[in-house]
Amino acid sequence: MDTSLVQLQRLTKIYQEGEQQRVVFRDMDAEIGRNEFLVLLGRSGSGKSTLLNIISGIDLPTSGEVHIDGASLGSLSETARTVFRREHIGFVFQFFNLIPTLTVEENLLLPLELNGRLDAGARIFAQELLEEVGLADRVASFPDRLSGGEQQRIAIARALVHKPLLVLADEPTGNLDAETGQQVLELLARMHRATGTTLIMATHSREAVNLADRILTFDGGRLYPSSKPHTNPR
Amino acid sequence: MILRRASLRYLSRHPWVVVLSVLGVALGVAVVVAIDLANESAVRAFTLSVETLSGQATHQIVGGPRGLSEVTYRRLRIDAQVRTSAPVVEGHARLPDFVGQTFTLLGIDPFAEAKFRPYVSSGRDTPGLTQLLSEPATGLITRSTANRLGINAGDTLKLRIGTAYHTLSIVGLIEPTDSVTQQGLASVIVTDIATAQELLGMQGRLSWIDLIVPDDDSELTQRIQRILPKDATIIRSENRSHALNQMTRGFRVNLTALSLLALLVGMFLIYNIMTFSVIQRRELVGTLRALGVTRRQIFSQVIIEAMLIGGIGTVCGIALGIALGSGLVERVVRTINDLYFVVSVSELTVSPLSLLKGVAVGMGATLLAALAPAWEATGAPVSTVLQRSAVESRATRRAPRVALAGFAVVVLGIGLLAIPSRSLVLGFSALFVLVAGFVLVVPAATVWLMRGLKPVMGTLFGLLGRLATRGVVAALSRTSVAIAALAVAISATVGVGIMIDSFRQSFLDWLTASLRADIYVAAPVAQTGPSAATLDEDFIARVSTLPQVAAISTGRRVRLDGPRGVQQLLVSEVDREQFRLYQLKHGDVEQVWQAFENEGAVLVSEPYAYRHDVGLGDTISLRTNQGERPFTIAGIYYDYGSDEGRVSISRNTYNRYWNDRKVTFIRIYTQPAADISALMKQLRNVTGEHDLFIRSNQALREASIQVFDRTFAITNILRLLATIVAFVGVLSALMALQLERAREFAVLRANGLTPRQVWQLAMTETGLMGFCSGLFALPLGIGTALALILVINRRSFGWTLQVSIDPSVLVFGLLLAMVAALLAALYPAFKMTRTSLALALREK
Repeated sequence: MDTSLVQLQRLTKIYQEGEQQRVVFRDMDAEIGRNEFLVLLGRSGSGKSTLLNIISGIDLPTSGEVHIDGASLGSLSETARTVFRREHIGFVFQFFNLIPTLTVEENLLLPLELNGRLDAGARIFAQELLEEVGLADRVASFPDRLSGGEQQRIAIARALVHKPLLVLADEPTGNLDAETGQQVLELLARMHRATGTTLIMATHSREAVNLADRILTFDGGRLYPSSKPHTNPR
Repeated sequence: MILRRASLRYLSRHPWVVVLSVLGVALGVAVVVAIDLANESAVRAFTLSVETLSGQATHQIVGGPRGLSEVTYRRLRIDAQVRTSAPVVEGHARLPDFVGQTFTLLGIDPFAEAKFRPYVSSGRDTPGLTQLLSEPATGLITRSTANRLGINAGDTLKLRIGTAYHTLSIVGLIEPTDSVTQQGLASVIVTDIATAQELLGMQGRLSWIDLIVPDDDSELTQRIQRILPKDATIIRSENRSHALNQMTRGFRVNLTALSLLALLVGMFLIYNIMTFSVIQRRELVGTLRALGVTRRQIFSQVIIEAMLIGGIGTVCGIALGIALGSGLVERVVRTINDLYFVVSVSELTVSPLSLLKGVAVGMGATLLAALAPAWEATGAPVSTVLQRSAVESRATRRAPRVALAGFAVVVLGIGLLAIPSRSLVLGFSALFVLVAGFVLVVPAATVWLMRGLKPVMGTLFGLLGRLATRGVVAALSRTSVAIAALAVAISATVGVGIMIDSFRQSFLDWLTASLRADIYVAAPVAQTGPSAATLDEDFIARVSTLPQVAAISTGRRVRLDGPRGVQQLLVSEVDREQFRLYQLKHGDVEQVWQAFENEGAVLVSEPYAYRHDVGLGDTISLRTNQGERPFTIAGIYYDYGSDEGRVSISRNTYNRYWNDRKVTFIRIYTQPAADISALMKQLRNVTGEHDLFIRSNQALREASIQVFDRTFAITNILRLLATIVAFVGVLSALMALQLERAREFAVLRANGLTPRQVWQLAMTETGLMGFCSGLFALPLGIGTALALILVINRRSFGWTLQVSIDPSVLVFGLLLAMVAALLAALYPAFKMTRTSLALALREK
């Protein structure tokens, strides 16, 4: 079995802005292994979120290929990509993006229902996840009743509830204070280890760097491997 | 399920979105249902009444202008041995003690009735039947009618027939066993034939004779034909109701089309609200798409929401429509009574078909209106769903292309209107295409207009003026829909207003040219059939000798029933000068006069020529006393007095072929210095016991104008309803904008804009939207008017109308748009100034 889960081959993304072309990245190659925790670093606007969107099939590259678990996303139709995403990918956003009109439990169960896997076993797993993120007592609450950290913990549980191959986290701590952000990062790392899911995180957080298996940095439209900074984890 | 729950909770958290959408659908559906119910009730009442009165009869023998002689019936029974025949005398009577109640007086022979109208003489056990035969001035009504009027058997009813009053004893109550007969007899008084003849002044005459003739019994038909006089003919029973139904078709189709307009405006409202709810949830949609919800699922979600709103709106609309219909039916019936024939509707008939139509238009319109927003929600890639500005930049970018497409659609609409056809449906469809094309031009036109206005607004109102023009364009996807909805509603007001003005002007010109005499005297024709009532010969002779009378001319109105339907004949005894009252559409007056007076030719009115597709020199066939005979058309004249069309014939020709010297009305031309009031008083003295309609030129003119205005009263109600729907649409659009722009306004406030300035900004922006709507409504309104005048009216009635555009209609349209927009802005502007700054700034 191939040890890499995600393969990016000669990936190019160019935005047309009026008469101008803005190259986000060009001819980018990368491989991300199974069970790996990869951190993407880079300045704002360097292309981290764009890359996550392309890996998830939300956006398409201008050219190049994305393979996930052997499947070429570019060859799939829009609907097939959506189905692929909901079955194999979990998302954690900067702004949590919980559905405001659904309760905590309903938010969590939504991916399962979308995948047609809302059975008793899945419900038990969801309950376990809620306990794991420490919010089992808030199942009936609506998101606007939760703090930012609590909302993000639910979002992490939601990203994992359908046991995806890959979790994409886009600045998951960008909207949280330092302490809460740290707690969320530790939760993500712990869940990653517990479930064996591949995790790709776009972030500015130095703390995340310490938890990651590997770090890639965006610069000038290219990805460069970075070594871990020698700081003591808290 | 979870997705659906999310959507339902969104709606429950935004109740005004639901309320305004439901209101939009409900108002649109209500107007359509109300008009349909009112139309259907009138037609059903009429059809039921004709069918119930005809009973089991398959055919009818009808006579000439004065009906049939009783001798014909005797010969039928005795000589031809036709037992399945029954004589009928029919007329109409008002009940002065019960306002607005008109009854059909049905004179029958109870002995001949059993096979025809079993409800009258079933088993001869109807109470009072014996008295009906033996006592004069007696009648029967149904028990439910008696209950409705609050009377009992033994009471008397006061009747007004023409201008004379009579009393009638109700000697028994009919109890029909089925509800159809019950309804058909709701406004019928059954009397013995002799009583009906006495009351209606038809001694020795019959209105018609009912027959039961099996389809294949040609022997019986021939036997009947042999004994019939030349002025009589056999027609099928359903011919009458069919012909009268056809008469009102144009009128009813026009009302339906106007009601659809309200629905069209309602559709804008739904579209606006659904677009708003999609745009408002763009981040949510983006999240769902990222989580793996497919486009199809998003699409169905939006559609399901819309259908839910449509469902509630439709149910409310149907209920509202039934209530509104009860109010409208009276006006529809009044117009039908004024223009066509007497029909009495005791109650609104709520037919399942009308309700189904309501459901279909409500749900259909909602679905149509929701398609674009649903597509909008799913069509964009996930990453741009997350950006509000993307929606607006796309709307602005697309505007010129959409406008080009709009121009093409407008051209298509004009092309469809130009197709030489008689189809009203095609005409209205073309008009709707025209409107749709125009709507597509609105976004681009708004951008251009705002660009043009920006420096002006800046000079007039400074920063706020510039911000306001920018605000209209910045939220183009929302503002252009509200502007278009209001523009369409206002254009309908302008278009229908111009059409009515043009019609009224044509009508007034025609009235001025036609009403040349000083005094008009008519027999009390009211409700006894146009051929029945006539003036006394002695009276006419005495009038002509009065010293103040310079000249008189006489006329006779005749209704000819025939196998091909009903023909209205106008017999005119006029001299060469008086002949000018006919405003000829084609032909030389002198030549036409010669042909009309001396060569036995006829004139036909413009609507007649259109309906029967005949022209100058063609021949038409009329049923004379000597059987069918062809008459050449010597001229076509303008006539706005009847949309069913009339044939005018000279007195000489009429006397020759119909041998009927009766006169229905006279025109009196007075001496130059005559005192009209004194002469009218003198005429009333001359009439003695005869109660006649005597009217001066001025009074007749005013009465005619009154009928005209009454005819358009219902049209004006529909215009008002369409404007109300548009008003709700603008209100909802502004509420949505206010909600969306709370943060933008908060930032402005944080930067120093006072609440008062926020208020001014909101009102200026809305005033600009109203101005755009009003301005755009003018060309569309004029276009709509031209389509109505030159195409729809011609196809409905065959009239040529001169286009008359009163600038005040245009100014009123512009002001109405601005006032509606400003009124709708009051609450949202108030809310904007009250929004919590901190809360609005905190929201992402």
